[in-house]
Amino acid sequence: MADYDIKELVLIATLIFLIAPAFIISYIFVYNRRKKKHIEEKAQMQLKFEAEIAKAQLEVQEQTMQTIGADLHDNIGQLLSLTSLTLNSIELHKLAKAQQKIDASINLVLRSIKEMRLLGKLLQGDQLVAMGLPEAIRQEINWMERSGKYEVDYTQADNIPMIKNADKDLIIFRILQEVLNNIIKHAFASHISISLEYVDQKLKLQIADNGVGFAAGNLSAEQSGMGLLNIQKRAGIIGGEANIASNPGAGTNVTVFIPYP
Amino acid sequence: MISEYFTLNTSVEIICFIVAFFCLIKDKSPAWKSMILFLLITCVTELIGIYIKKLYLADTVHVRPNVWIYNVLIIFQAGFTSFMFSHLLNKYINSKPIILGGLAVLFILYVVEVYVHGVFEKHNITTTSMSVWFVLLSLFYFYQLHKDAGYIDLKFSPAFWWVSGILFFYFGRTACNLFYYKLSLVVVTPKHYLTYYIYNTLNILLYACWSYAFICRKWLTTTSKNLY
Repeated sequence: MADYDIKELVLIATLIFLIAPAFIISYIFVYNRRKKKHIEEKAQMQLKFEAEIAKAQLEVQEQTMQTIGADLHDNIGQLLSLTSLTLNSIELHKLAKAQQKIDASINLVLRSIKEMRLLGKLLQGDQLVAMGLPEAIRQEINWMERSGKYEVDYTQADNIPMIKNADKDLIIFRILQEVLNNIIKHAFASHISISLEYVDQKLKLQIADNGVGFAAGNLSAEQSGMGLLNIQKRAGIIGGEANIASNPGAGTNVTVFIPYP
Repeated sequence: MISEYFTLNTSVEIICFIVAFFCLIKDKSPAWKSMILFLLITCVTELIGIYIKKLYLADTVHVRPNVWIYNVLIIFQAGFTSFMFSHLLNKYINSKPIILGGLAVLFILYVVEVYVHGVFEKHNITTTSMSVWFVLLSLFYFYQLHKDAGYIDLKFSPAFWWVSGILFFYFGRTACNLFYYKLSLVVVTPKHYLTYYIYNTLNILLYACWSYAFICRKWLTTTSKNLY
């Protein structure tokens, strides 16, 4: 090799040695900028998640208040009105009849007290979630059954993890409420079947009804509105997914998978 | 003449020393503070080097070249730079075994070179090994920085700029050391060889990065308690 070639080679090698650190440092800079972006995105997602949790909490409370309002009006209110009417109709000189009416009133008051106690339990709606998802689901089902309009089957697997995740419990519970609300409002169902299982590190909540169903693909954004979109969005926010299967006349089946705990 | 002592090299070093002095004199970290002493030693060595060179050029028979003083400087370079690396890497790992291991190898090479050719000849093996070692430490630091999930604003990170300076300087110096005999044959101007320009560029890069690092350090420690 000519001396000139060697010199050229040496110069190029030296130049590369001088430029290499600049490349390394530039790479670190670019990577660091990406890291910053990633951290910002993560923080934003966390904020969004927290906002969603707060919203879900508020909605659970609202739902509870609505149920309580309706129950006070339709149930306890009626019982107390009837008690009042019965007591008003007592004629003291007809002792035997009066005794009957007093007994009936006592019975009505006792029923009111029982209803009030149940309402008290419902008032602790969000605390119920804190006690555990299965317990909260059971209370919700009790309430549905009491209306007498629905026959509800509930099955719960034995392997539900003992370790809880309060945020996820709240979101899952809210999804359940949303689905049940949809059933009450639109499905005209008589039978609801709910199951809670734990499969492959995921909680699987399945809610099926025998209502009128709908063509899942044909719903406009407005029609699917809050309900269905919210269910999917909320499941996504806690890393899960919601599948909604329905056909006109064939009921609806909502399955939610959530990584748990 | 006093102007002979103010070469491009010494001027850059003195400026960096002054910046270090004003920025780090009140610093709480011994590693950062030690940079003032290291730069003082470097400046004094360079000035003595020029003085000895003048003496040597005047009397080449009785005076030895100034190589030996730069051989002494290697000890301080290895010591202070390793101390600083130890401080910076401690944020991520227990750096003591690596740093002490590296220092031990360099010490052995230094002793061997003293034994083989004495102190009046350039310690090429030690210098090259030290350069490679510091390049590896710099890359290791960047790797740790890369791996770390936390974000640091690199534009104002003293540690990052200090290591960048080291990487530029020793990466380039490794190339120069490896190709020294070929590069020193390339004459750019009648007065200077190519190596002169490369060394000057490397020095400017090193001390510019370091001065900026010291300013960032001062700025960070006075505006916040964030020490990294």
